[in-house]
Amino acid sequence: MTLTVSADPPAERRLTKGLPVWTDIAYGISLPLALLLAWGLSSRFGWPPEQILPAPQVVWATIVELWSDGSLAEHTLQSLRRVAIGFAIGVPPGLIIGAALGLLPRVRAFIWPVFTAVAQVNMLAWLPLLVLFVGIDEELKYVSIAWSTAIPVILATTRSIADVSPKLVELGRVLDFTPLQRVSTIVLPAALPSLFTGLREGLAAAWQSLVIVELFASFEGLGYLMTWGRQLFQLELVIVAMLVIAAIGLLLNASLQYLERFVQPWKTEDPHGS
Amino acid sequence: MNQIYPSPTFQVESIPALEIHHLDKSFTVAGRELKVLAGVDLSVKIGEFVTIVGASGCGKSTLLRLILGLDLDYSGDILVDGEHVRRPGLDRSIVFQDHRLLPWLTVEGNVAAALRRSSLSRAAKKETVREHLELVGLTSFSKAYPAHLSGGMAQRVAIARALVNRPRFLLLDEPLGALDALTRLKLQDELKRIVQREGTTALLVTHDVDEAVHLGHRIVVMQPHPGRIATILSIPEQARQDRSSHEFIRLRDKVLGLLAVGAGACQTKERTVA
Repeated sequence: MTLTVSADPPAERRLTKGLPVWTDIAYGISLPLALLLAWGLSSRFGWPPEQILPAPQVVWATIVELWSDGSLAEHTLQSLRRVAIGFAIGVPPGLIIGAALGLLPRVRAFIWPVFTAVAQVNMLAWLPLLVLFVGIDEELKYVSIAWSTAIPVILATTRSIADVSPKLVELGRVLDFTPLQRVSTIVLPAALPSLFTGLREGLAAAWQSLVIVELFASFEGLGYLMTWGRQLFQLELVIVAMLVIAAIGLLLNASLQYLERFVQPWKTEDPHGS
Repeated sequence: MNQIYPSPTFQVESIPALEIHHLDKSFTVAGRELKVLAGVDLSVKIGEFVTIVGASGCGKSTLLRLILGLDLDYSGDILVDGEHVRRPGLDRSIVFQDHRLLPWLTVEGNVAAALRRSSLSRAAKKETVREHLELVGLTSFSKAYPAHLSGGMAQRVAIARALVNRPRFLLLDEPLGALDALTRLKLQDELKRIVQREGTTALLVTHDVDEAVHLGHRIVVMQPHPGRIATILSIPEQARQDRSSHEFIRLRDKVLGLLAVGAGACQTKERTVA
């Protein structure tokens, strides 16, 4: 018997697949380079004044200085540690609550209204209350970072389960799967892409609230570096902290994306996602 | 059948594979009751291949869902091997129009997924998966993911998955409807061969009258609004064997005539509504 294999991938996939890696990288780098150039030019012509926007070379010198005296690494590690702990505390309950909301209609009916109301209020607004409960030490940082991580993770997990194709769920019924088999064979793999989106959103939120809590009450960390720089009117410190946060965020996001591809081998032919 | 089981006592004891009595089914759409099946009576013998043709909206797919046990909200009786259908079970399986393969499992994994609830040993499962992939001619694709298969190949995998539990009853819901004409012709012959070889009782729903005449022992002609059986015709052996035989053409034209009446009635109805 002869078999016909359709060799044509969908058109959109072919378009993105055609881009070699170096072109991709060149595209990604060109915008930051252009911004850097504009920044250099504008400071050369003194607009805005140097007290407001320090020149790139001043920022670079600050980076070198902070790096050589070890304080940049110290602040960065401190912040990373807080994000790591807060994120690690926030993710498991986020996944569990999200899964419960997505899988169990009764739980959803019970918790959803309260959760939606709580999620509407920004973590910043909870801070004064949180301080009363957990004080202003490390616990405050962990709790607020975990909190802001958990909310997007819960939302994405619930949504990812709701979006599982009803046709595939029906297939699970036809094959007489147990509830556990339905979750492990159909719901979980189908939900993975949205789950990872949730984790990435959670990580972004964790970094944002890290800066907020470190601005609020801290003596070390990148957020503290920013506060300190602002108070001394050394804006290059603020910019250095911003750059480090952005770079680390980019790196963590990329590693989550890598992990996402790694756990979904059936998508390996399509590295740009669908 | 008579040649294989000449004893008359077997005839008395043998119960039909499927018996449907006075089946009525309606859906509530926007507060109004919409009758989709009315007074359906059908009896299918063990090993028989029955095909159902009819215009869209005559409740063909709904009928299959009821036999599968996916929907228990109906009046009348549906008996499979003399037992009322109360839930989905591995004695009945289905091939849908869309292949419904799980994208995250390989060809092999998709077929094996149907065996999750089977009591076979691990080795026996592996062996039966291999046998069924061979049956549909996809042994060399066993490690491929569904995204890399053509429509025809994906549908072959779905057929293998439906047969791997050796079900008493194979339901086919327009399984070849989404394929191109050439692949469809090829798969019709294969389907006929496979069903014959496995000795499964089969019920095929289709729009394609040629397909219905070519594959079935009997053909059920349905009419819509509400879905009901217009007539049941036996297909002479010559018609099944040879698509260009007199018998084939005569029967096909007869069925087309019956359906055209249904379509005409449908059109007048739409006109009065508009």
